[in-house]
Amino acid sequence: MGRLRRSRVHKGIRDIKRKYRTKRYMRDIDQIHGDIQPENASKYEKPELDPELPGLGQFYCIQCAKHHINEESLAEHQKGKIHKKRCKLLKEEPYSQAEADAAAGLQRADTKPKKAKTEAMDVAENSTA
Amino acid sequence: MRLEKCYFCSSTCYPGHGTMFVRNDSKTFRFCRSKCHKNFKMKRNPRKVRWTKAFRKSAGKEMTIDSTFQFEKRRNIPVRYDRDLMATTIRALKRSQEIKAKRERVFYKNRMSGNKLRQRTENQALIQKHIHLVDTPAIKNLPQVQKVAQKTKLMDVDMS
Repeated sequence: MGRLRRSRVHKGIRDIKRKYRTKRYMRDIDQIHGDIQPENASKYEKPELDPELPGLGQFYCIQCAKHHINEESLAEHQKGKIHKKRCKLLKEEPYSQAEADAAAGLQRADTKPKKAKTEAMDVAENSTA
Repeated sequence: MRLEKCYFCSSTCYPGHGTMFVRNDSKTFRFCRSKCHKNFKMKRNPRKVRWTKAFRKSAGKEMTIDSTFQFEKRRNIPVRYDRDLMATTIRALKRSQEIKAKRERVFYKNRMSGNKLRQRTENQALIQKHIHLVDTPAIKNLPQVQKVAQKTKLMDVDMS
């Protein structure tokens, strides 16, 4: 393998590797789906001033989980294709572990024991004791 | 011992296998192998990746609604060991598996039922469309080709 092939073949793509590191982990689609719910809207109404964030954290796009530097930048972003695509993606129900379990044929857990069952267990205990 | 299901492909994660990812909101994701983990990192939706169970179920490739799915559950209530209960459970398991397999076979058959007819009509349409390409005598004299040719002739007559 020559120098050029090494650098040009896909595995040499540095930016993609960096993008997928957990260090640069962005909000997941199911988290954002929670963010856009009306009960969580109050969290994003009046953001606090944060000097470490772009635009002091005042211009946040909830759907794309991204901070912008000013009003215009945010408006421009919200007009764009990427934002619209994301909005469309958020309309569908997010994938969850429950769905993965259901696909494998595993039903949802029963959390509370039924009364009949406990009685039966008591009887079993009495009989063994 | 708990056998978890893989978040991505819904296969079973056995103890000592695979990876668990804990997100900063303390939600856990289990992966049966690095393939699933990598696909997760790429932010792919399992519903849209063709080799996952979630895809096969949501695309109607596999049986989804059936009473045989009611048996397998995560049971969080401990049950005292009972030899007779164990024996009956195992017997019931075998039987329910049989029924499930049978229903799955029926489902598959139903799903594939229209295929032969559809393929045949498609092939015929293809030949009819490109009948001018089939011009060598060896192919022309084949019985199937002649049948199709006759059909097209009849259609031409009808048209005119």
